[in-house]
Amino acid sequence: MRRLLAVAAGLVVLAASACSAPAPPRSAAPPATPTGPATLPAPTGAHRVGTIALYLKDASRPDPWNPDAHARELKVTLWYPAERRDGKRAPYMTPKESQLAMRRFGIAGVPDDTLSRTRTNAAEDAAPTGRGLPLVVLSPGFTHPVSSLTSLAEDLASRGYVVAGIDHTYESYATTFPDGRVAACLACDSDTDPGFGTGVVAGRAADVSFVLDQLPAKWAGSDRIDRSRIAMVGQSIGGAGAMAAMVKDSRVRAGIDMDGTTYARIPKGGFSRPFMFLGSPQHVPGGRDRSWDRDWKLLTGWKRWLVLSGAEHQSFTDAPLLAGALGVKPPSDVLPGARAAELTRTYVAAFLDRHLKARPQPLLDEPSSRYPEVTFCPATCGRS
Amino acid sequence: MTAVRVAAAGLALLLATACTAPAPPRSRASTAAGTACPQPRGRLGAETATTIDVIEQAYFCILGTYYSGATLDARSLLSAGFAALTQELNRNGRDVPEAAMPALTGERKADWTAFEAAYRKVSDQAPDLRDKLAVVTLEAMVDSLGDNHARWAHDVEEPPDRYDGEGYGLGLQANVTSAQANLDPGAALPPLFVTEVQGGAVRAAGLRPGDIVESVNGSAPFVDGAATPAIAALYPRYPDARPVRLGLLRQSTGRRWTATLRPGLYPQDLTDLQVVRATLLDDGIAYVRVRGFTPDAADRVVKGISRLRAGRALSGVVLDLRGNGGGSPLEATRLVSAFTHGAVTAYLCTVDGRCEASRTDDTVELLDLPLVVLTDRGCASACEHFSSAVKDLRLGRLVGTRTAGLISGPAHGYLLRNNTMLSFPVRHHLGPRREVIDRIGVPPDHHVTLTPKDAAAGRDPALAKALALLQK
Repeated sequence: MRRLLAVAAGLVVLAASACSAPAPPRSAAPPATPTGPATLPAPTGAHRVGTIALYLKDASRPDPWNPDAHARELKVTLWYPAERRDGKRAPYMTPKESQLAMRRFGIAGVPDDTLSRTRTNAAEDAAPTGRGLPLVVLSPGFTHPVSSLTSLAEDLASRGYVVAGIDHTYESYATTFPDGRVAACLACDSDTDPGFGTGVVAGRAADVSFVLDQLPAKWAGSDRIDRSRIAMVGQSIGGAGAMAAMVKDSRVRAGIDMDGTTYARIPKGGFSRPFMFLGSPQHVPGGRDRSWDRDWKLLTGWKRWLVLSGAEHQSFTDAPLLAGALGVKPPSDVLPGARAAELTRTYVAAFLDRHLKARPQPLLDEPSSRYPEVTFCPATCGRS
Repeated sequence: MTAVRVAAAGLALLLATACTAPAPPRSRASTAAGTACPQPRGRLGAETATTIDVIEQAYFCILGTYYSGATLDARSLLSAGFAALTQELNRNGRDVPEAAMPALTGERKADWTAFEAAYRKVSDQAPDLRDKLAVVTLEAMVDSLGDNHARWAHDVEEPPDRYDGEGYGLGLQANVTSAQANLDPGAALPPLFVTEVQGGAVRAAGLRPGDIVESVNGSAPFVDGAATPAIAALYPRYPDARPVRLGLLRQSTGRRWTATLRPGLYPQDLTDLQVVRATLLDDGIAYVRVRGFTPDAADRVVKGISRLRAGRALSGVVLDLRGNGGGSPLEATRLVSAFTHGAVTAYLCTVDGRCEASRTDDTVELLDLPLVVLTDRGCASACEHFSSAVKDLRLGRLVGTRTAGLISGPAHGYLLRNNTMLSFPVRHHLGPRREVIDRIGVPPDHHVTLTPKDAAAGRDPALAKALALLQK
């Protein structure tokens, strides 16, 4: 779970928890000349994209990380199909958040606000369009804000989904609230504790249920959502959070875990809603992380386990798309950012189209010559 | 299964010591360890069978690198190993005419050659016992060091369906801990009673803190006041799933009954698993429970206290180290450094008496608060390093019971060719006054014990004493 990519440094930094010996790091790639701010790839769907941030407060429970906070505050970013591209292009993050990200991942040599100048494809507060739209909850990896999944979120919105991305407060290096407060990663203080992952995903499941409860009242466009068609997608512990949310909340009909070690106990009787594991080669059956093997047996409904050759932990996020802007050259054996984004968008959308829109998806039934990187586990993928 | 092995495993955090102890002095580690047994790098591969070649590697690893390896009579290792070999044959209803100890000369290599020849003769005649014989032989050699931080970890098995934060076993803690039952039964006091219900079969059966365990699988836990091996059955380890039958007495009602409990996985209270947990008690006293000296423990304690201090004045700190199985000696030193600077917290000494002082890290901010430390027999290793420094340097008072006395010296791990880990100290630990803590423990300034009635009523007399001391 605690695999943080030093964003574009191409170094997989493994948590050196007490006794698990870290794998030797990849040899550092030589720095490249920064390319200037990045542009996220254009969404592939038919719709233009709007975005808006909501701020919710759950007074029914104390914050799990901040003992002085007697309520759980959450920032939710919505991406949705928009009528026109009117309004300002939405910022990727604030300059302060960009600076904190640079510090966190040890990036130097480019201006501190580089990430905040990343060009997005969504218009701020644009008027929503469409009826009976399915909803997708997005949850980011540990220490990351949900903006790390913007490329995927914009693409899903362009394909006719409302996307609700949650910033799980104090589980990321920066969550900015309207009054200017920036919540830091308090959870990072205890992330080596036994049971830490289990606690995080339980908290995320509670966050998701609260967001689903609140959305109708908090967003004017929410009558466009078909609340019988809700799925959740997450990267790393966000993917484990998808599993946890589904176990706890039957409103979430389908889920995808992108390369996340799982933590929520699946009922012994099994679990029949559709679920997809989408992983890097770290996540082949019998590999280093045993959690997918353990859970796969308990999934009794529609399920897939896909592994992307050449992917690494952050391939499912925006990180590889931002490498050039940060002046870092990724190792040559890792999927290039554009291709990683294409694969992630394509397979996530195929799953959601299959389960929320009931459209047949041959891509999910067998390997495709267009996407030779994708192997179907456990049947045809060996231990690498 | 040997006592040392079980106990070391019971004290999960002792395991971490192997990984977190500072590297041994290069001069000692490089020559012998470089050839006989390297320090592990990266992830361990899959374990393979233990063979005579693995035993040979361990033998030379111990002689070349262990604390007293240079001066050790190697014959003691070989005869301990051979004795275990013959006992294992006997246990299997067998014997072999050649299973007699060869004559040894005191010359390490020649003695190994003689031992190996004899071992092979025996092993070849009992091919079905081959693996078992190798395992008991090597275990006995390590045990013969009589060092509570010497351990051979092998056949490490995890329940495949375990989730993070789940425990395995019956789901209880008793006043006699797993480590104590296996390693130090002499310090165990009757009656045996439940101190904590953690979950699993114990919770399902309705046991409560304070319930007295009168029998374990039909055997008495104490005979004539002395602890019996029966107590260890309270703490089964995976894959042991045999049911355990307890005879129980609830003093408050006089009820006597029997419960048959099946070991298994059970979810634990996640708050309880937090390594460092700081809360504010009445009268501005910070209560900080530290379960182990993980690599970030000292910083987390200081941070936790600072956070409680924001906007209010604190009048003291209670550090609850009960059940703290140890961890990194560096963290013990750093935590001492939050209470004093410019002091020696311990000495690490070679077998020929050359000692290196572990000095406080004076970059750690001083808390400057009155301190009481809660200790018990579960406070082991780095926990005793810290406690002895608090006592010797007069940084605060210790309340509770004597610490475990399991602190021979920080262990280092060495990789054997079948991907198992041998770990042991290269130097032994002494307190700030250069006194031995190992096997003795650190005596509390205020001896406060827990009775079954206290446990049943949820009373914590040691904490009450600590608060009384701080409020004076």
